[in-house]
This record gives sequence, structure tokens and C-alpha cells, in this order.
Amino acid sequence: MMGQPDPSTVRMTPAGQAEFDSFTPDKDPTLRCLMPGIPLGLVDPYPIEIVQQEHQILILYEHFHQVRRIFMDGREAPDHWQPSYIGYSTGEWEGDTLVIRTTHMHPDNYMWTAGFPFSGDENTYVIERWWREGDVLRFTGEVHDPTYYEEPYVVNGLWNYAPDGEIWEYECIPEFGGIE
Amino acid sequence: MKHFATLGLSASLVLLAGLPAAAHHNGATYFDTSTTIEHSGATVVEYAIVNPHGRLHYTFTDAEGNEQEWSAELASANNLRRRGLGGEIFKPGDQLVSVTGNPSRSGANFMRLESAEFADGTVATFTGANRGISPGRDAP
Repeated sequence: MMGQPDPSTVRMTPAGQAEFDSFTPDKDPTLRCLMPGIPLGLVDPYPIEIVQQEHQILILYEHFHQVRRIFMDGREAPDHWQPSYIGYSTGEWEGDTLVIRTTHMHPDNYMWTAGFPFSGDENTYVIERWWREGDVLRFTGEVHDPTYYEEPYVVNGLWNYAPDGEIWEYECIPEFGGIE
Repeated sequence: MKHFATLGLSASLVLLAGLPAAAHHNGATYFDTSTTIEHSGATVVEYAIVNPHGRLHYTFTDAEGNEQEWSAELASANNLRRRGLGGEIFKPGDQLVSVTGNPSRSGANFMRLESAEFADGTVATFTGANRGISPGRDAP
């Protein structure tokens, strides 16, 4: 499947299942105007812009004005780095495939708002692979969260090159989150 | 240094999502998408084109003669604007023949808006592949 996995194929641990069973809409950060970040925003419906520099790749999202910095110069997360919705991402090339590793993600985030939880504990990390096929950029994302899942939670998707595409402002008003 | 662009394009790429631009969340989590309810004779109170979700606030008189206040959730402002649904489609005081949508699972007077029919017969559709205003009326 494109996007999120077929829910029937997702195997959660008992702890993950308990979180799933207690999901309520107020746990969705985007309904409170907090960015989806990673892993919730791995699959995103709004345009992005990718800027490639020597030391980093920037992904500029329309959605919540997110900025992802993917450090390409071999650095690692400093000891003081705090968990955040966007996390800390480093990347390297394997042939023509960009491999991104993300850690330091926020424990209040969610895998997917169908109710799939994300622990955000010290054992969580995400491996993304992005590669280009003509004017299409494809990606997969493996979310490793052994506290809540028996095996990695896998998403995938694609982006279409849009030379005339526009990135718009995304103001957000929490009162319109629809938590009712 | 390797670039995605080394395969031919500039170093800055703007990209559009290849997946359907759904709302942020899985609608079925919050709304009973197996049920459609219809309110006839609605009066628009307010229409807000905002993120993370647009909102239509309206009243109607139920079968017992009681006035009810309801809110209907729409897609995000950015999504509506890209689909030509970002204009002032509804104005306070507009009379609607009917409003349809999926009721909230919470039991509140809240739904996910599917469509609204105006007195002149035009219909604004907010979900599914046929999102837009028909027939023959441009989005304001």
C-alpha cells in the first residue's frame, strides 16, 4: 500500500496495543497546531521544497512550516540534544539512494492518527530511503519502536517534481482543530 | 557531493505529494464515515477558512420545531484553496436547502461536511474525488 500500512498487518506489542486502545483525538498534535514532525509527518499531503547544500539537505514543508535538517557531514547528535517533533536527522548516500537516520523524536507524537502510537523512547529511530526515478522522488520509512511494535512500522510514498509548484503559508488556529 | 539533482535538475526541488491530499487525520477515527446525516433548511452562521480545518457553523430547525446549532468540519484552508474552495462560498445568513456529512463519534453537534445544496440548486461538495462546486457555478 502507498502511504500508511494496511492496519491489519501492523503487529503491536501489548504495551502498544494498550496505547492504541486508548487513543483519543486530543493526542493528535496537529489538531493542537503542533507540527506532525517525525514519524507522523513522514507521509505528508502538502508540497515540500528540498534544498541541497554541502553539509546538509533541507526539507522545507508547507505543512506547519516544518524545516528538516539532514546533516550530511558525518556529525552526530550532541549529548545535550533534546527530543523534538522534528527529531535529529543525519544522512548518507548509498549509491543513488539517500539514507536518513532520525533519532531524538518527541514521545508525545503519534505514528498515525488512526490510533497507532509512538513511544519516542531511547530505542526509537527511523530509517528513510529516498531515491529518484525521473521526475518522481520515492521514499520508504521504517519506524523502529520495539516498545510498541513487534517489527518496524513501514510507510512509503512519492513526490512529483513540480517546477511551477508553490509553497504557501500554513497558519493554524487550535480552536479549529475539531477536538469535539 | 551527490545531489538528487545530479540526475538532471536544479539544486532546489519543489515537490508535490503523490498521495491524495486527505485531511490530517484519518476521518474514520473521529467521524462515523459509514453514516451520512442530512439537515434540511439550514442557515449559515459563520464560515471559516482556516487551518488545521475549515468550519461551517449553521443552525436548522429539527422535526420537533427546536432550533439546533451545528458545526461541520472541512479540509484545511490550504487544501480548500488549492481546490478552488477557498472563497466565500458561504456567507452568514445564507439559506441552504440541505447540509450533509458524517456525524462525530463523540455525539456532539459536529460533523465532517460532505456537501451543501444552495437554494438555486448548486451543490458544493467537500469530500471525495468530485470536490468542487456544481453545476456550472464558479467558486466565488
